[in-house]
Amino acid sequence: MRKSKGPGPDTGDDAEVEPDEQQDGDSDPGQRREIRSKYRELICSVQQNREDLLSPQNNHLTEVLEKANRLFKDVQQTREAVLDSQLLVVTTDLGKEKASQMLSDGTAFDHIVFAENLLSFMGLNRLEEGEEEQQNGGAVDGYLPQDAWQRVAQWSQCCFKTAPTFHYMMGSFHTEPPPPKQKVERQRKAPTKEVKRIMPTQLKKMEESQHEATEKEVERILGYLKSYHHDDPTSPISYYEFVIDPDSFSRTVENIFHTSFLIRDGLAQMYLDDEKLPCIAPSEDVEGATADSQSRQQCIVSINYKEWKDLIEVFEIKNGMIQPANTLIE
Amino acid sequence: MSQRKRVSTSQSSSQNKRPASLSLTATNDDDDSMFTLPSTSQVLKGLENLTEEQVYQKTAEVLQYFLVRDQKKIPIRRADIMKHVVKDYRNIYPEIIKRTARTLDQVFGLKLVEIDTKNHTYILINKLEEPEGMTSSSGPANLKSGLLFVVLGLIFMKGGFVRENLIWNLLKKLHVDIGQKHNDFGDVKKLITEEFVRQRYLEYVKIPHTEPVEHEFCWGQRADVEVSKVKILELMAQLHKDRPESWSQQYKEAHSALSTSSQATSSSQR
Repeated sequence: MRKSKGPGPDTGDDAEVEPDEQQDGDSDPGQRREIRSKYRELICSVQQNREDLLSPQNNHLTEVLEKANRLFKDVQQTREAVLDSQLLVVTTDLGKEKASQMLSDGTAFDHIVFAENLLSFMGLNRLEEGEEEQQNGGAVDGYLPQDAWQRVAQWSQCCFKTAPTFHYMMGSFHTEPPPPKQKVERQRKAPTKEVKRIMPTQLKKMEESQHEATEKEVERILGYLKSYHHDDPTSPISYYEFVIDPDSFSRTVENIFHTSFLIRDGLAQMYLDDEKLPCIAPSEDVEGATADSQSRQQCIVSINYKEWKDLIEVFEIKNGMIQPANTLIE
Repeated sequence: MSQRKRVSTSQSSSQNKRPASLSLTATNDDDDSMFTLPSTSQVLKGLENLTEEQVYQKTAEVLQYFLVRDQKKIPIRRADIMKHVVKDYRNIYPEIIKRTARTLDQVFGLKLVEIDTKNHTYILINKLEEPEGMTSSSGPANLKSGLLFVVLGLIFMKGGFVRENLIWNLLKKLHVDIGQKHNDFGDVKKLITEEFVRQRYLEYVKIPHTEPVEHEFCWGQRADVEVSKVKILELMAQLHKDRPESWSQQYKEAHSALSTSSQATSSSQR
C-alpha cells in the first residue's frame, strides 16, 4: 500500500491532480482513470443485477470477485483502493444474503409457495383467477372473500399472547388526551405574533367604523333634507327647524355637526331668507349653486343649552325633522 | 384483593392527600435517566412514612394507568409512569411496581414485562392459554394481527431479517398493495413501518451502504416475548402440509428461544 495523500477517499473527481502523481513514475493518470472507471462499472453491475447474482444456480459473484482481483493488481493509490473497498462492501452484502439463503438448509422457505398456500387458506377463488394471476404477479384484486384476513387473524391468534384490552361499555373515552397538549403549544407561540398583529388592525377598525358612522349619518341627513325639499320645493326649510331636535340637546348638536359636512361637501347650501333667518336646501336646487361654489363662506354655528331651549320656543318646534338614528334601527 | 376495588376509584381524589412528610428531590423529569431506583432500605424507609392505604391507592392508580395505556399496545415508558402517576411516591417505586405486577398477574392474568431494560419500557402480555378451538374475540382490531402474523412469519422463516421489498412483494401476492388503500388495513405501509414498529412488534432497520437506501425488518422486542415462534412454525407446517421439523433451522431456533425467553421474562419482572 502507498501512503495516503490528497483529499482522502474521494472517489469521483478525476480532474483534480494530486501533487504526488508527478513524483511517482509508476502511476500514469490515464491508467488510474481507467481502473476507476472499471471499478465503477463493476459496482454498478453488481448493484443492478443483484437478484441474478443472488440466484443459487450461478457463480456470478465469484466472477465479480475474480474481476476485482485482477483490477486490484494495478491499484497503487488511495482513490482506487477506496473504490475497491466499496466494491467489497457491496459484494459482502451479497455474500451475506447468499449465506442466509443457505441457512435454511434442507427445506428453504419459499415465500412464493407461502403466498400460494395462504391464498388458498384465505379462500381464493382460483377458477377465475388462474391465468390472470400469472400475468399480473398475483396482484389482481376482488377474488378474495371479504373475510379473508379475518380468517388469517383468527387462525393465527394462537401465536399471540397479546393482552386483551378493555373497552368502555358506555361509548368512547379516548385514552390519551393529546388536544390539551397541542393547545399549550399554540398558546405559547401564538400570542406574541397575534398581539402585534391585532393591535394595529383594532385601531384601524375603530377609526374606520367611526368614520363610516359619520358618513352614514351625513347621508341619512341628506336624505331627510332631500325628501323635505322634494315634498315642497317652493317653501324654504328653516335651518333651525331642520336641525333642532326638541327632545335632545345632544342630538341637536350632532345634527348641526353632520349638517356642516353637507355644507362643506357642497351637497347643501345655506342662505338667509327675507327675514334674515338661515334656511337650508339641497345644492342642486339653489340658484347659482355652481357659480357660488367659488365664493364659499365659512361660518361657525354655535349653540348652547339656553339657546336651544329658546329656539324651540321661538320656532315652536314640537317634533324634530331628523329622526334619531337609533329609532330608525328599531 | 383490596386493590381490585380501588381500580375504579378516581385518580383525582388521591392526588390531594399526598403525604406531607415526604421530602423529595423531585425534579420535574422527563428524563428517566436521572432517576435511579431507590435501594431496598430506601424503599422500606419510604414505606414507613406512608399508610398502607396510600400505597394501595397509588398501586391501583398505576395499575389503571397500565390497563388504559395498553389499549394502544405501545410500550409504556417508566418515565411516563413516574411523571403521570407515581409522582411523589417515586421513592417507593419498586414496591409499587411489584404490587402492580402481582395484581396484574393474580387478578387479570396478565404479565408485566420490561421489554427494554435500558430505556425501561413495559408491556403487558396474556398469561392465559387460549382454550383449543376458542374464538374468543373477533373484531376489526384483530385483523391487524393476521397481517402481523404474515410479516412476522415471513421474517422468522427467512432467518430473522427480511428486506422490505420482499415483504411488499409477498403482500402484493396476497392482494395487499402498499400503494393502495386497503379495505381492512388502510395505509398498509404506514401500518407496518410505523404502527407495528412503534408497538415494537417489528424493527425497521436501514441497511448500511445501500444506494438508494433500503430497509430490512426483523422482530421487535414485543414480538420476542408476545409471539410464539413454536406456534408460528406449527401453523406454517399446517399451511404447507408439512411437519415443523422439516425446517430444521427454524425448529431449533423456536425451541431454544422458548426456553431462554421464558427465563428472560421471568427475570425481568421486578
